[in-house]
Order: sequence, then structure tokens, then C-alpha cells
Amino acid sequence: MLGDTRVDALRGVSLAIEKGEFVAIAGPSGSGKSTILNMMGCIDNPSDGKVLIDGTEVEHLNDTELTRYRRVKIGFIFQSFNLIPVLNVFENIEFPLLLRRNLSRREREKTVMRFVEEVQLSDRLKNKPNELSGGQRQRVAIARALVTNPLIILADEPTANLDSATGHKIIELMKSINEVEKTTLIFSTHDAHIMEHARRVVNLHDGLVAGVESRE
Amino acid sequence: MITVKIALRSLARRKSRMILIALLVAFGTLLLVFGTTLTRSAGIASRSSIIHNFTGDFIVYAAKSREIPSPFAFNTPLPVVPNLDRLKAFLLAQPEVDTIVPYAQNYSLLSLDLKGSKVDVPFIFYAVPPAEYAKTFANVKMVEGDFLSSGPGILISQYQNDHYEKRYGVRLKVGQDVTVLALSSGGGVNAYPTKLRGIFKPLYYENVFNYINFMDMASYSQVYNFTGVAAGSLPAALEKGLAAAQQSEDSIFALAGPAGAPIDTSKLTSESISGYTMVAVVLKDHRTSDVVRARLAAQGLEVKTSPWDEASGFFARVASALEAFIWFATGLIFLVVAFILMNTLIISIIERTAEIGTMRALGSEKSFIRRIFLAETLILNLSACLVGMAVGLMLVLGTRGSGLPLPDTISQYLVGGGPLPMVLSPWPFVTALVVVAAVSFTATILPIRLATRITPLAAMNDR
Repeated sequence: MLGDTRVDALRGVSLAIEKGEFVAIAGPSGSGKSTILNMMGCIDNPSDGKVLIDGTEVEHLNDTELTRYRRVKIGFIFQSFNLIPVLNVFENIEFPLLLRRNLSRREREKTVMRFVEEVQLSDRLKNKPNELSGGQRQRVAIARALVTNPLIILADEPTANLDSATGHKIIELMKSINEVEKTTLIFSTHDAHIMEHARRVVNLHDGLVAGVESRE
Repeated sequence: MITVKIALRSLARRKSRMILIALLVAFGTLLLVFGTTLTRSAGIASRSSIIHNFTGDFIVYAAKSREIPSPFAFNTPLPVVPNLDRLKAFLLAQPEVDTIVPYAQNYSLLSLDLKGSKVDVPFIFYAVPPAEYAKTFANVKMVEGDFLSSGPGILISQYQNDHYEKRYGVRLKVGQDVTVLALSSGGGVNAYPTKLRGIFKPLYYENVFNYINFMDMASYSQVYNFTGVAAGSLPAALEKGLAAAQQSEDSIFALAGPAGAPIDTSKLTSESISGYTMVAVVLKDHRTSDVVRARLAAQGLEVKTSPWDEASGFFARVASALEAFIWFATGLIFLVVAFILMNTLIISIIERTAEIGTMRALGSEKSFIRRIFLAETLILNLSACLVGMAVGLMLVLGTRGSGLPLPDTISQYLVGGGPLPMVLSPWPFVTALVVVAAVSFTATILPIRLATRITPLAAMNDR
């Protein structure tokens, strides 16, 4: 709703994404990219229709169940990085593991260090987010999204706040992680150069799927 | 643990606002701890000085009195305590009773010589049995003379003497003859010549007792005609006739018989009838007051009792009134703290919407968000509370040895004068902790409700 006006951000979208895919949701501003990611990420519910993730109809889950579902199955990468400002690099990456409360301190350290090395931030462990560049921040966000080994990683315009070269590096990193970790990675973008990295591009226009391109 | 870490670092990020809140909480705690310790100590000290110097643990007075007599107030004429001998015998037989002192309060005029003419000055006094009174209540310091041990007469306060000189141009000297003028019950004026035996300074409640003087009870009985014929010296027939007349009005005619024969007045002896209007009862243990009073009430002696705090009226309530004021002031401070804290938290939540949304998106439950804000508030307020308590404790300990020096006017009203002996008790500290915790919880209710309403969408909307 925008004031009293009902706005249908998505209209009759039907989309299936396979496990391990590297998919770009493309389209201009207002096309419904973020809305579709929010629904896949269990942070928004469709007014009509179904969202099925790994066999679960998530629109029937209550707030607590959705929270637990996100914690276990979904990783997020945000356009503005959204790191917790009072935590350092190590602690930001460790944060989702602390919420799961199923690992010992040693296991957590080992897991975090594995992804810290993967995103090449071993020398920045003690730095706070405001002491990092945009690219470094987004790499922390990627490590944070990966650390719980989620089913899906959703990235909402992950390169929008980065310069072009850094943006490409970030997408390359995401792509290599997708190949190595076999994690389903879905990102939204309106940048044609960035979307070229995806193996499948879903084009949205005015809340409708305008076309799907496969790059393989 | 992560909640405490986030809470601590978030507090550090908003230092200036948090320091202001911490200072207010610390000041409020200090006021509560030191203020309530002070008023509790004042309550204990004033109770002790009133009980041990003026009222005893309770006061006994005539049941027909329409007012409760107070050593601190002059609400005369008060009826004389009836059955005094039986009352004294009963009280002294009680194992809980330490000592008793009867006394009366009244006012009259002193007629003094001033350069060949007479001047009448007001004279408010306690009429006391000097030896008993001085033994029980050490509430005066003699400046000159003695406490009526050298003979019957009057004592005046140094302040009163100064006042006489200033107002009437007369200054009394120990040993000087004075004439007490008093209205008798029959409406006439009694003039009783006596002597000034001493000049004293009150040790407590100078603002009251500077104006109150002393007279021995024998003189008082003379002044007010509380003297009669001793029953034992009456002829036996007359005594019998009088006893019968008390039983029945008809028997009064028996006095016209042999009982009405002429009396040899040389064989009569006089007896001092009690003019006492109250009796102060000092107990060995104050906690037995209610028991002794109940036992006395069952004796049918036509007397009533009043506990020390009722009998001392306003002065027993000064400490309580001050305590109420301290609670009011502390309440105001904590109300301000609660409002500032609530607003600061709301602003902080608005500023941290994306951060909270991100935590929610990553899988934090509402309870996790709630714990962060509660931890922030409790860490801040309880740390400030501990600082306030530590400062309060240091102040109390620092003043415990010699007592807290107070301005004389305050000290006189609060504890009767002198430095206030401070009594260290855990209760003000426990109370402060409970109040701070309660304020912290209350102030976070609304902010936490706002914080837990933030959805993960807030993280997505943070561009």
C-alpha cells in the first residue's frame, strides 16, 4: 500500500529456481525486484499465491517460524551492506552462528576463519565496519551470508553502492562461492554489466516476468 | 553474551547522551541512599532524644482530658491525673517499666522588682519533682545554681533571662526573691513568694525549651492550692462520716452527729494533692510499650495513654516529613530520568532501525532485540546506581564517627540539636536498587515495543 492506494508490486509472477543456481533478477526501478527477493527471503508475504522453498509453503508460517526459517535456510547480502556497526569483522561474520547456538566457540572460530580467508579479510578481523572500504564491507556481508551454509543466498543490488571495478570483483566472488559451495545465489540488479555474470537472468517489468535468459 | 557486547558498545557509541542519563541516575541514587539514611538516622535520633528527655515511651494523662497533653505544647488547662498513687504503684510494679516521672505544665506571671516598682513578666513552666525529674531526664545544663536541690523555687532558661532583660529591662540573679502570680481555680490571684534557684540551658529542642522554665512541685501545689488536710489526721468519727457520705448522699447527715463535733486543728497535718497533669513512663525496652499500655488500660484508673510520637506531635514527624520530601524529590528525578531514558531509547531505535531490521532478517527473534535494549538500560542505570551508592556509602561512613554536622536551626527541629549520628542500614541501598531497576524496566516498555515491531523489511529498505 502506498498511502490509501493499493500497489501491486508483482502481478502473477511464476518462477522456479533450482538448487545451486546463480540467478540475476533484473529490471528497472519499481519493476518488483526487491519485492520478489523479500518474498523468497521470507520477510514479506504475497497477498495471493504461494512461495515454496525446499518443499515448505512459507506464507503459512508465523513470525517466529519465519525467523527460524530465515536463520537456518537463508543468507542475505544487502545493498547498503547492513553490517552491525558495533561489531568488528570477525564478530559480524560470527553473528548468525551465535543466533543458531549449536556450535562451540572453537567450532565457530574455525567456521568464521574459513570464510574470512575465502573473502580475503584475514588482516581486517578486528576492524569495525566504519574502518572498511565499501568493497571490504560487502565481502564481510558475503562471508556473513555464507557462514551458516544456507540453502539460498539473496543479494539485493549487492553492487549498487560500489564502484564498477569493485562491483565486478564482488560478483566474481559470489560466482566462485556458488561454484565451490553449491549454494543457490539469487541477486537483483539493474546493471547490465553485472547481470552478465549470472547463469540465468529473470527480467521483470511492471511486476511481471518479461523474459528469462539462460547464459549457459 | 552477544547481547551484552552489543549493548555495551552501543552505549559507548552514544556517550554524551548516556553520560547525562547516568549522572541523573547516580544523583537520584545518591539522594535516595544518603537522604533516606539521613532521615532514618534522624528518626532514630529524634525518637531517642524525645523518649529519653521528654515523654518517656508513653505518657499517661487524665481520661477526661479532651486533648492529648504534650511536653512540647501548652494546651492548658489540663485536668489533673486522678488516682496518682495507685497509678504510680501499678506502673512501678511492672517489670517492663524502668522509671516514671509525673509533671505538670502551666503558665503564670513573675512579679519582679524594677528600680522600686513592680514589673510582671510571663513565666511558662514545667512543675516537676526535681530529684526524680533530673534523674530521669537529663535535658538541661545548669549555667548557674542547681536543679532545685538547694530548696523549692523556680529555674529559668538563660534565653528567657536574656529575653526578660531585652523586653522588660530586668535580669534575674540566682538566689533572687520572686513572686509567682497565678490564677486560682476560684478565679482569684494567688501570689506565692519563692526564689530563683538556677539558670539553665536546654540541651535539646532549644526552639521550644528556651521558653519553658521549671518550678518544683511543692511550690506549684502552693501556687495553685493543690494542698489539703491529710486524711490520717482527721478525727476517726469525721473520717468515717466522710467515707459514708461518699457512698450515699443521705449519709451526709451523719456528719451532723458526733462526727460534726469541733475539730482540734492543731492536730491536723497538710497533704499535697497531686497537681500533675501527665506522667512520663520510661520502659526498659520500647517494644513493650503496647503491652504495658494495654495492661494499664485494664486497671480502671481513669487515665489514658499516648505513645511518645503522638505526645511529641510535630517534632516526632519532622524526620518523616523530611523523608517524604526526599522521596518526592527523588521521585521527580527518576521521573525525569524515565522520560529522558525513554526518549533517548526511542531516538536510538529510530537511528538503529536498519540495524534491528538486519538482525531480524538474519534470524534474531524479538526476544533477542528486547534483551539488547533491556541490557543497555540495565547496564547504564545499574552502573550509575552503583556509583551513586558508593558515593552515598562513602558520605555515610565519613560522617558516622562524629555525626553529620547540620545547621543549628535544622538540627534543632530534626533531632533536638547537635550533629546527627548517622546509622548505616542496608535498606536505603536495597531500596535504591529496586527503584532504579523499576525505573529502567518502566522506561524501556515503550521503546522495546517499538523495537520489536521493526520487521526485517527495514533492512531491505535501508538504501
